[in-house]
Amino acid sequence: MKCELYEELFTGWINKELSAEEKGVLEQHISGCDHCRTELEALQQLWGHIGQIETPEPSANMSVKFYAMLDTYKESVKEQRSLWADIKYQLSNFWQWQPRWPMAYNLVMIVILVVGGYLLFGKNKSDDQDRQLQALSSQVHELKQTMMLALLENPSASERIRGVSYTSEIKHADKQVIDALLATLNNDPNVNVRLSTLDALTHLAGHPEVREGLIKSIVEQDSPLMQLAIADVMLKLQEKRSVNSFKELLKQKDLDHGVRDKIKQTITQLI
Amino acid sequence: MLKVKAGDLDRMGMLFERYNRQLYGFLFHMTYQRELSEDMVQQVFYKMLKYRHTFTGTGEYIHWMYSIARNVLKDHWRKNKQQVQHEGVEAAETIAGGLVPDEAFEKKQAKAELHRAMGKLSESQREILALSRFQELKCQEIAQILGMTEGTVKVRIHRAMQELKSIYVKMER
Repeated sequence: MKCELYEELFTGWINKELSAEEKGVLEQHISGCDHCRTELEALQQLWGHIGQIETPEPSANMSVKFYAMLDTYKESVKEQRSLWADIKYQLSNFWQWQPRWPMAYNLVMIVILVVGGYLLFGKNKSDDQDRQLQALSSQVHELKQTMMLALLENPSASERIRGVSYTSEIKHADKQVIDALLATLNNDPNVNVRLSTLDALTHLAGHPEVREGLIKSIVEQDSPLMQLAIADVMLKLQEKRSVNSFKELLKQKDLDHGVRDKIKQTITQLI
Repeated sequence: MLKVKAGDLDRMGMLFERYNRQLYGFLFHMTYQRELSEDMVQQVFYKMLKYRHTFTGTGEYIHWMYSIARNVLKDHWRKNKQQVQHEGVEAAETIAGGLVPDEAFEKKQAKAELHRAMGKLSESQREILALSRFQELKCQEIAQILGMTEGTVKVRIHRAMQELKSIYVKMER
């Protein structure tokens, strides 16, 4: 066995941890190996010397410091515990809050339903609104029409003119309005009212009954102003059916000269 | 210690009374500084309180204490890497200092020399000698603390002794 292999036993020898058997093995080796024997002796001596090195005592200060530290630590642990107890208490309180959660849940559900409902039915709603708006505007329209008709019956000429002017605001003049206007055109005592009525009717010339009414009205007019104006309108509308009516008018002996010339001119232009 | 772990912190006082000298001795032989060693004892006991939940009870309490002490030492050395050796030697000299009668003087000087020689060992060698010689722990216990086999511990002790011897011999010349 090589000397290095006894190293473990050396340590055991000097700190007296060897078993009797191990001791025997080592003793046998050193009896034959001078090198190891001197080495072991030297180490044994050194080991002894080391043991004589004094270890100083700690000062009393150390123990004072220790107990101070222990006390502070105990305090801090207590604090931590009370903190934990606080948290526990808060948690238990939290459980009592529980009934409020369904309420919060309800609120959330309401919000969701409102938003969802708006998203789902919002379109229909706006359609509804459109319909309502249309109904409303048609009602206003009707109201205007009624007002116009009422104004045409008004004794004041200016009010009647105002009534006639309303027709420009009526988009879809129905038969009732046209009849009322034609009646005004033929029968109104005031020439200004009749002139404005003629103007209003010209705008409604798209309706065939308006045209017919105007043609029929030619012979009904006795005012030169009206005759001239109606001749202009016929010319503008290029209404050839009015020629006969104008020829009838020319037969009237008391017809104004100016009007007569104008009508003749109109007839030639229309034909 | 298990009682401390369970919350009986006053038991720590008992442990302190029983082990503070031993721990102080170990730390002193590792650092050669009295005050520093006292501070470290304090640190070790504080850590044992703070990390008492990590004590499993499977090993000996003393092994746990030494492993914490070793960590404290490691931290210290990491922070003051260069200071230690220098201070260590100086401190060893101050122990030897003071007026003493002639006969005792030589003996004392020899001890101081040896102590100084130990200061020149590597930290791990000094540690293993401190544990085995000053703390008088059995190789098996040291093996547990250092986390190595008993055989390795024995070989390391032997190597440390040889190294110490050669340093000491050089110093005497």
